[in-house]
Amino acid sequence: MKWDQWKTIFQKNLSLIFILCIFLILPFVLPYTALATEILIFALATIAFDLLLGYTGIMIFCQASFFGTGAYITGLLIHHYQPNIFLCMGAAILGAAILALCFGYMSTQRAGTYGVLLTLAFNELIFFIAYQWKTLTGGSDGLRDIPRPNLEIPGLLNVNLFSETRFYFFALFFFVFSFILIKKITESPFGKVLQGIRENETRTMAIGFNTRLFKVVAFIIGGIFMGLAGNLYAMFMNFVDINHVAFDTSGKIVMMELIGGMGTLFGPILGAGIVTLASDIACAYWERWLLILGAVFVAFVLFARGGVWGLIESVRGRLKFSRPKKA
Amino acid sequence: MLLNLVIVQIFNGLVLGMIYVLLAMGLSIVWGMMNIINFSHGLFFAIGAYLAYTIFSVTKNFFMGLILIPIGTALIGILLERTLLRRLYGLNILYQILMTFGIALMGRELIIILYGPIGKSFVPPDILSGTISLGALFFPTYRIFLLFVSILLTIGVWLFIEKTKYGSIIRAGTEDSEMVSALGINISRVFTLIFGLAMAIAGFGGGLAAPIRGVEPMMGEAILGICFAVVIIGGMGSFLGAIIGGVIVGLSQSMVALIMPSASIIVIFLVMALILLIKPRGLLGIRD
Repeated sequence: MKWDQWKTIFQKNLSLIFILCIFLILPFVLPYTALATEILIFALATIAFDLLLGYTGIMIFCQASFFGTGAYITGLLIHHYQPNIFLCMGAAILGAAILALCFGYMSTQRAGTYGVLLTLAFNELIFFIAYQWKTLTGGSDGLRDIPRPNLEIPGLLNVNLFSETRFYFFALFFFVFSFILIKKITESPFGKVLQGIRENETRTMAIGFNTRLFKVVAFIIGGIFMGLAGNLYAMFMNFVDINHVAFDTSGKIVMMELIGGMGTLFGPILGAGIVTLASDIACAYWERWLLILGAVFVAFVLFARGGVWGLIESVRGRLKFSRPKKA
Repeated sequence: MLLNLVIVQIFNGLVLGMIYVLLAMGLSIVWGMMNIINFSHGLFFAIGAYLAYTIFSVTKNFFMGLILIPIGTALIGILLERTLLRRLYGLNILYQILMTFGIALMGRELIIILYGPIGKSFVPPDILSGTISLGALFFPTYRIFLLFVSILLTIGVWLFIEKTKYGSIIRAGTEDSEMVSALGINISRVFTLIFGLAMAIAGFGGGLAAPIRGVEPMMGEAILGICFAVVIIGGMGSFLGAIIGGVIVGLSQSMVALIMPSASIIVIFLVMALILLIKPRGLLGIRD
């Protein structure tokens, strides 16, 4: 390939390369690697949610069910059978996708705010099942003893992932893969229909699209990547906490999404980074720092609905505008 | 013996159901009129309960608490509506939902800061403690009091909505709030009043429920999901639906508790899913 072709590829994927660079140095800049892994996994869950809220305009509160289902399936499989790592991943994704199909089917029955109520109620259902079925899930104690499986491709590769750095790069691979996939989806004709639904569902329907079908598929895609995030998180933490299916986790993802900037894919990554870092720092000083996070969140809803990414964009736009032109 | 147990559980289910009804009414009115899904509704339930606890431990007068609580929560509600929610009218509904979600989070943390993370028990006042016997059956006096008061309040709210001039504005606003404002009614003042009224009822419900379930910071969140289920079962925007939904949920919860206590909350959401599959609009839903 010629230099010019390389240059266009480079320019086209500038943002992706930028993100990759940041995530490549992140574990070495932060005080400990595990923090970077946490950011990475929540960024994955939040961009999956961004596909729903930011691109399709569907607000849900059952992120934790998808995330937690992925985590519990992974935990249970490893706890009882120690299967291949990719089998775990596949099972977690499948479980979350089936759940997303059910929830998506039920909550898109009627238009409007109705789905918000319903997804929260579904989240409670999953939470209470996980909470009460103590023999399976460990109830409020969570599921313990989940050793990290080896990265094993039969006949090719067998590496253990015990080191945090190694696991980080393992997760990074799947994050980048998912990010590219989700970005491709948003740029595809399918993604354009989703954005049409966000802008005006009635018109999109009038053009001849079965909007409900598109919404259910968006649910499933969102569920798949949230399930993947849950799968990675269970392997990362070595246990599954009941909190992973609780409303709090849904709320956390919603906050990351809005504070970062919805409908941009980059914003949610930023949001996940900001919220995770801030909570790590603030936790040490004040246990009840969620009060401050709540206040910051409310301030963003009131004054900066585009999130941090929106603020950056507007500053950039202003700089461009005010730059003096050459005579 | 089994029959007695069933009767007692039906009674308990009704008590539980009426608490849900008190919350679901406000949730349904606010949703129908203002098109806001109020995630801070549970918070006001918790505020009511904590107010009851505080007033009772300071003055030792439970009934004074019951009078002061709705005034207090209504004022907090009006303040929030005037200062925060108001700025978001006319935008995508999403932002109002997110706002109430943020308020709920902050409120919960504030309660933990003020009262600590561990729940507190709360004994009903002496006059209402003890039991009333009916044949071989014993009913706690406080629960009978709760049932009585909450039914009276529900009838009161129903009369207010069905029979008064303000009630007709509310009902009209549920159908079409734009048209109501075109008729020369100050819809923004109506919104404030509605929100205040809903928060007053929610707070009152919290105060009533406190002696039965105690107070703890997470109680608002725990009941929010159940109330959403009640509203979905009854049909959104329907007042009667909220009442029927609340009673159905309360009864099914207490009946299942007889057979399998651990499934008593799960069954609420299963009933909800079942009703949705049969009637997607809920039992008495009037609009999307």
